[in-house]
Amino acid sequence: MIEMQSFSVSFGAGEALREASFVITPGDRLGVVGESGSGKTMLGLSLMGMAPDAAKLSGKLRIDGRDMSGASERDWQALRARKVAMIFQEPMAALNPLRRVGETLCEPLRQHLGLSRSAARARAFELFEEVGIPDPEARLEQFPHQLSGGQRQRVLIALALACDPELLIADEPTTALDANVALRITDLLVRLAKHRNMALIFVSHDLAAVARATAEIMVMYGGEIVERGPTRAVLDAPAHPYTRGLLEARPSPQSKARGPDGKRPRLTTIPGVVPQLHDLPAGCRFSGRCPVELPVCAAVRAPVCAVAADRTAACHALVSEGGA
Amino acid sequence: MSAPLLQAKALTRRYALPRTSLFKPAPDLVAVNSASFSLHRGETLGVVGESGSGKSTLARMVMAFEAPDEGHILFEGQDLNAVSSQELRRLRRRFQMVFQDPFGSLDPRRSIGWSIAEPLRAMGEDSKARVDEALEQVGLTASVAGRYPHEFSGGQRQRVAIARAIVTRPALLVADEAVSALDVSVQAQILNLLLDLQDELGLGILFISHDMAVVASICDTLLVMQHGHTLEAGPAHEVLNAPTHEYTRSLLKAAKA
Repeated sequence: MIEMQSFSVSFGAGEALREASFVITPGDRLGVVGESGSGKTMLGLSLMGMAPDAAKLSGKLRIDGRDMSGASERDWQALRARKVAMIFQEPMAALNPLRRVGETLCEPLRQHLGLSRSAARARAFELFEEVGIPDPEARLEQFPHQLSGGQRQRVLIALALACDPELLIADEPTTALDANVALRITDLLVRLAKHRNMALIFVSHDLAAVARATAEIMVMYGGEIVERGPTRAVLDAPAHPYTRGLLEARPSPQSKARGPDGKRPRLTTIPGVVPQLHDLPAGCRFSGRCPVELPVCAAVRAPVCAVAADRTAACHALVSEGGA
Repeated sequence: MSAPLLQAKALTRRYALPRTSLFKPAPDLVAVNSASFSLHRGETLGVVGESGSGKSTLARMVMAFEAPDEGHILFEGQDLNAVSSQELRRLRRRFQMVFQDPFGSLDPRRSIGWSIAEPLRAMGEDSKARVDEALEQVGLTASVAGRYPHEFSGGQRQRVAIARAIVTRPALLVADEAVSALDVSVQAQILNLLLDLQDELGLGILFISHDMAVVASICDTLLVMQHGHTLEAGPAHEVLNAPTHEYTRSLLKAAKA
């Protein structure tokens, strides 16, 4: 359905996304993890034809076999909402505070689908029921500030589903929510994807949420896909040193006693900071922070190695381990 | 054991809600209902709960930004709401706060050196040397004092916010969701920084968070709140290993997922 091939997004000399390649078919649930500046949001925006104007795009992006590389804004408009829809992190910022959520939801139904006022209203009611908003009739009449954070996110999901998209991109959908609410929203997205046979791209820095929501995972760092494979397998036995670092840096909810000197054990960290776009290393993006770095890493891009039949990781250390 | 650094005795804070009827008094929202705890020097107390649980109201009362309707807050044995305003001003240097959003809490048009020196100026002093020292203490270098917030990453900005909090050499640090907006690897770095500062300066930390995994890494005692009520409180290992309340279990489950 969607195919990206050596797709890059650059700003001047800085590459926000470097040669990303992947394929999405209906029903896929793909997690994209990485920290700020890893390029995960740029990936999502590119799939919506919403990369900033200043960005230079190269490589191929095909949607339903059609090459979208040079597509105009009008071409994209025809695809958005019906083919690909997106929800964002901050539901308050994405909703118009001066309009009742029902009006907001009816707009795409009338614009894109050409429904009459009453048909749009009926459809909005169904959508609210589908995303689990209690008492939809009353909620449709409310303004965004009258809803809780979790309900606002449900409204946005309903809005994204309005035109029955084949792919839903959720960019950090749970980050602004309380832990329990985040779990429910994650489960809702999975249920909707399965029920509608809709593809889901779940972009998040929250590994636990991605593990819960997706079957496949791509780990990104510095604009590159550094590791990919089945979510469970990758998180259980990460092959790339960055994936390992991310997993080790996560605090666990077990209690930790102070040592005999009265000091608390420290958390494992990845040393250093994510480099700025304009001074990313030329070779492997993770060089300079990597615990298993080889002399070759800073200058030469890491080759993509097969870790298992359905898993790859881009790392020089994996090559030398393999005896190549 | 020495006298606690901070003691809260049956703190209650109510906010008036809009009137529902002409004939009835306006209803109250009880944001914090009779919360009690104590925190010793060099220790960390975690306050856990979701939005609306009252944890930020608790922090605001500890910082004497607002007064409780009932109960007392004792800082180093002195009731913060009974001392004179001059005395409170003098005491303020001893307790400082770090907020969630380092974007919102630093003035974008001022150099970070200026922002870090602000609490000092409020006390009527301004010491470049002290600002430089605070920058070094949070793992930055004194040479960055002239730079502006936009030149820093999220994690570095939170370091700046922590430098501003410790510049007056406080005994108590109140951290309200101080690592919630940070990436995983940066979050671990900032938590380690707080632990380092605690070892080095003997800071007492009141750490407010919704994330059980985060509080487990740095807290000695825990207070779990929901809708203003304290559901359970006690040593961190007891609350984490044998939670008595269903709500605590659900938070733990969410953190493990």
